[in-house]
Amino acid sequence: MEFSRNWLARYVELPDEVDELAAKLTAAGLAVEGLERRDGDVLMEVDVTTNRPDCMNHLGLAREVAVLFDRPLRPPAAELEESDEATADIVEIELSTPDCPEYVARVVRGIRVGPSPEWLRQQLEAIGQRSINNVVDITNFVLWETGQPIHAFDLDTLAGPKIEVRHARAGESLTTLDGERRELSTGVLVIADAERVVALAGIMGGSETEVSEATRDVLIESAHFDRTAVRLGARQLGMHTDASHRFERGGDPAACRTAADRVAELLAELAGGTVTGGALENPHPEYFGTFEGTVDLERLNAFAGVDYPRQRVEYYYRGLGFDPQPTGETGLRLTVPSWRYYDFWQRRESGEVWEADLFEEAMRMFGYDMIPAALPAIGPPDAGSSFAHRKRERIREALASCGYSEAINFAFGRRDADGLFPGLDPVGEPVEIANPLSEHYEVMRRSLLPNLLESARFNLRRGASTVRLFEIGNLFPGGEADEIEAVAVIAGGSSPTAWDRQEPVDLFEVKGVLESLFERFDGRLEVRPAEPSGFVVGSGCELLAEGAVVGYLGQIEEPESPFAVFAAELNAAALAEAEHPEPVRAPSRFPAISADITLTHAVDVPWSDLQKAIGEAGVEHLASFGLRARYAGEGVPAGAVNTTIYFLYNAADRSLTQEEVNESQALLTRELERRYGWQG
Amino acid sequence: MSPLTELAELSRQFEAEAAEVADPAAWEELRIRWLGRKQGIVRARLAAFKEVPPEERRDYGQAVNRLKEQVESGLADLESRLTTAAVPVVEAVDVTLPGRRPMIGSIHPVSRVAADVVEIFDGLGYSVAEGPEIETDYYNFEALNFPPDHPARDTQDTFFLRDERLLRTHTSPVQIRTMKERRPPIRILCLGKTFRHDNDLRHSPMFHQVEGLAVAEGITFGHLKGTLYAFLKRLFGPETEVRLRPSFFPFTEPSAEVDVTCTFCHGDGCQTCSQTGWMEILGAGMVDPRVLEGCGIDPDRYSGFAFGMGLDRVAMNRYGIPNIRVLFDNDERLLRQVKR
Ligand SMILES: [Zn+2]
Repeated sequence: MEFSRNWLARYVELPDEVDELAAKLTAAGLAVEGLERRDGDVLMEVDVTTNRPDCMNHLGLAREVAVLFDRPLRPPAAELEESDEATADIVEIELSTPDCPEYVARVVRGIRVGPSPEWLRQQLEAIGQRSINNVVDITNFVLWETGQPIHAFDLDTLAGPKIEVRHARAGESLTTLDGERRELSTGVLVIADAERVVALAGIMGGSETEVSEATRDVLIESAHFDRTAVRLGARQLGMHTDASHRFERGGDPAACRTAADRVAELLAELAGGTVTGGALENPHPEYFGTFEGTVDLERLNAFAGVDYPRQRVEYYYRGLGFDPQPTGETGLRLTVPSWRYYDFWQRRESGEVWEADLFEEAMRMFGYDMIPAALPAIGPPDAGSSFAHRKRERIREALASCGYSEAINFAFGRRDADGLFPGLDPVGEPVEIANPLSEHYEVMRRSLLPNLLESARFNLRRGASTVRLFEIGNLFPGGEADEIEAVAVIAGGSSPTAWDRQEPVDLFEVKGVLESLFERFDGRLEVRPAEPSGFVVGSGCELLAEGAVVGYLGQIEEPESPFAVFAAELNAAALAEAEHPEPVRAPSRFPAISADITLTHAVDVPWSDLQKAIGEAGVEHLASFGLRARYAGEGVPAGAVNTTIYFLYNAADRSLTQEEVNESQALLTRELERRYGWQG
Repeated sequence: MSPLTELAELSRQFEAEAAEVADPAAWEELRIRWLGRKQGIVRARLAAFKEVPPEERRDYGQAVNRLKEQVESGLADLESRLTTAAVPVVEAVDVTLPGRRPMIGSIHPVSRVAADVVEIFDGLGYSVAEGPEIETDYYNFEALNFPPDHPARDTQDTFFLRDERLLRTHTSPVQIRTMKERRPPIRILCLGKTFRHDNDLRHSPMFHQVEGLAVAEGITFGHLKGTLYAFLKRLFGPETEVRLRPSFFPFTEPSAEVDVTCTFCHGDGCQTCSQTGWMEILGAGMVDPRVLEGCGIDPDRYSGFAFGMGLDRVAMNRYGIPNIRVLFDNDERLLRQVKR
C-alpha cells in the first residue's frame, strides 16, 4: 500500500531522514518495501498485513509513527457550521438488516461541482489516485486519510428521498459506476432508495445516483458494513474495490461519524456547500462491544526472554490506544481501541483478549532486535522417527549412483493422461481439482509416469542423446484412499561418456537398476510377464516383492524418441528396510573353484525356471551362480538357445577338491539336461 | 683347436662383442649373428655336434648348451638395459583420450536443500514428521486460526477438490497432526510439497516448504531467535546476518518475517533484493496459544515456536536459478550440474 510522506506529515512531525522512518516502521511490523522520491515528496510502499486495516490509511500509520518517535499525533478535527434545516427532515434512513450496524448520513446543499484545489489534486496524485472533481476527490481523500470508505449520492436522484440498507431481492439489478450492468443474486447487501437499488453496500455506487456536474445537494454515506456480507457480495459479483478491500478486513466502528463530519467540512470549504443540521446516526454499540485483557509484565518478560522496562511498556500501550490501567503488582488492564476492533475480534474468549496478542503490541514496538538469541534446552532428541525421510534419501542416493537424475513434477496432470499407465492401485475415478489452473492440471496423478514421460520429451526435444530420470512422489489413487508414495524411472539412449562402448539402454539395464535398488533395501525383486497399459506388447512385466505385485516395467511406446525408452514404477513401500542393518557373513578363507555349464534349451524356457532348478538340485558348497552368456545362431538349433551359467564353489572350513566340484557339476548338468535340455 | 676349446673361445668372443653394443640396431645384429636360425653361431655349433668324437659328445653337448644360455641371457640383459633408456617398445597410447566414466546421476536441487535443512536440525534434536498432501479444511485452515471467509485465506490461494477437501497450502497441517498425536516436548520438521493457485514467473502452483515446530515448557521468543540464527548461519554461511521483524500469521502470535543478508550483494543492495540488502527468507512466530489448546496442549504450561521456509527459493538462490519454473522442467543438462 502506498503512502505519501507529505500526507503523513499532516498528522505527525516526521524525522528528517525518511530512511530512519522506514527502518523504525519496518522494525515495528509495517515493512517499508520501497521508497520513491518525487516532486518534493517521498512515496513509501508499505506492506500492511491483513490484520492491520487500521494502518491502511495515513492517519493510522501516523499514529504508529507518533508512538515510535515519541511525538504527538495531530488528528484533524472537523469544524462544522450547520444550517437550521434538520437533516432528519430531508431524508429517512432505514436499516433492515443486522449486516449494517452503523450508518451515518449527512446532507450538504448548494455545492458547486468543479475541479479540486491544487493541494488536493497533488495529494491524491502522489499516491496514484486520479483527480476527478472536488466531490469525488474529497470522499477519496477522507478514505485515504481515515480508512473509512465514503459514498456521495446526488440527493435529487434518490426516490423518497430515502435510504434503506437491505439484501437484494430476486430479479434486482444495478448499473454500477464503472458502467457495468449487474444482475444481483438475492442476499447481496445493497443500498436502496424508496424504489430501487442504488448502490452495492461497501463495494461500489450506482451510476444513476452518482454525483455529476449538475449535482447541487449531496447525501454523504459513512457506514459500517458486516465484513463477511461485503466479502460474499464482492466474491459473487467478481468485484474488488478499495472500499470492499477495507470492509472485508474490517473498519473502525467509531470512524463513521468523524469521517462523515470531515467530508462535510471539506465540501463546505472546497465546494461551497451548506451542511444541514445534524448527522443521522444509527449506532449499535451492542454489535461491537468492548474487548479487554490483562498483560502481566513478568509473564511478558518470560515469554519474550527479555526484561522490558515497565514505564516504557505502559507508554507503548497508551500511545497505541490501549488505555493501560495498573492491576495487581505487575498487571496492566488494557482496552482494545475501536480501530483495532477486528484485529482482536477473533482473538479473544468471552470478551477477554488473549495475552499473547497483547504481548505482541509491546514486543513489536520495542523491536525484536533487543531480544537476546538463545537456544532452548529441551533435553534428548525428539522421540519421533525420520524413517520415511531417511528411506527417501537412500532411494535418491541409490538411483543417482546408477546414473539417474532426480526429477520433480507437479502432482497433478491432464485428465486424459490418467489412464495412460496402470498406476498403483487406482480406485474409481481420479481425484479432481475443482478450480484447476488449466486443463493441464485437472486431476491428481495416479502414476508418476505421464509427467515423467513429459520430462523425458522435454529433454528429447532439446536433442538429448540419453535420458535417465527418476522421481519419488505421492500418488492419489482416487476417492479418499491413502496417498501412495511411488518411485519411477525412465531411461533410453546411450551415455556419451562411454566413447568406445556405445550401447543404448535396454530393458535389462533398467531392471538391473531396480534390482540393485531392492538389494540396497535387503529385498529381492522378482518379475513376471504381463501387459501393462502404455507399454510395448511383449516388453512389459509386473514387479513383485515377496509375492505381491508392487509395480511394473517395460518399454514405452514413444514415437517422439529416436531410441527405445524404458520405464518402471513401483510402490516405495516395497522397499522395506530393517531398522538395523543385516549382519554380514564372513567370507571363506579357503580358495573358491569356478566352473561353467552350457545348456542348450528351448528359447521359451525362462531363466527363472533354470534358477529354480539349480536351487532345487541342492548341491553343496555352491556359493553363487549366475548367467554368463546367452547365444543363439550358428551351431545352435533353431528354436533353441545356449545358456552358459557360471558356478562358484567355496567351503567355509576347508579347500574343496576339483573332484568334489566335478561331481556337483555333473549332477547339475544331468539335472538341467533332464528337465530343460534341448530335445530337438 | 679342439671343439671344446673352440666353445670356450666363442664364449669370450660373445662377451667382447656384447660389450660393444650401444643401440637396438647393433643389438639386433648381435642377436642374428649368434642366434640366427640359419647362420647363427650357436645353431652352427649345435649342428656340429655329430662331428664331435663320440667320447667327447657328452662334454661338448653340455658346453654348447651353456653357450646358448649365456648368449640368450646376455641378449636379454642387453635388451632390458637398452629399453630402460626410454625407447618405446609397446604400441603408442594417446593418454589424453577421455576416461570411460560411469554415468553420474544427480539429486534435485530442492531435495539437496531439504537434506541440508534436515541435517542441521537433526543436530538440534529435531525429527521429520510427515502428512498427506490432500488435506481437509480443518487441518489446513481452521485449526490454524484461519476462520471461514477470512481475508487471511486470500493470501493462500487454494486448490479445492470436488469433495470439500483441498491441496495443502502449507505444511502446517503436519504440525497440527503431530501436536494432536504427541505430547511435549516436541521438536519436528515437516517438509514436502505444497500447492497454491498461482502460476507465473515467480510462482509455481506446486512448491516445497519446510516448517519447524518446538513445543516444551519455557520456550521463549528468544529461543526462536536463537534457533533461527543457528539454522540460517549454517545454511547460508557464518557471515550471514539475520533480521526478525514483526509480521502477521494467523497461527503464530507474535509473528515475524525473517530476513537474511542478500546472498547476491552481501547486503550492499542489488536488483534481486530491491536495493534493501535483505532477502525475506522465512516466516516464524510463537505458536498461538489457541492452536496449542485446540490440539489438547495446555497453553498455560507449554509454549512453542514455529517457522516455515520455501525450499524452492533457497535452491534457486544457491544454484543461481533465475525462474522457479526451471526447477520443474527437469532438464537433465541443468540437473546433472547439481553436485552438492
Ligand atoms: Zn542484493
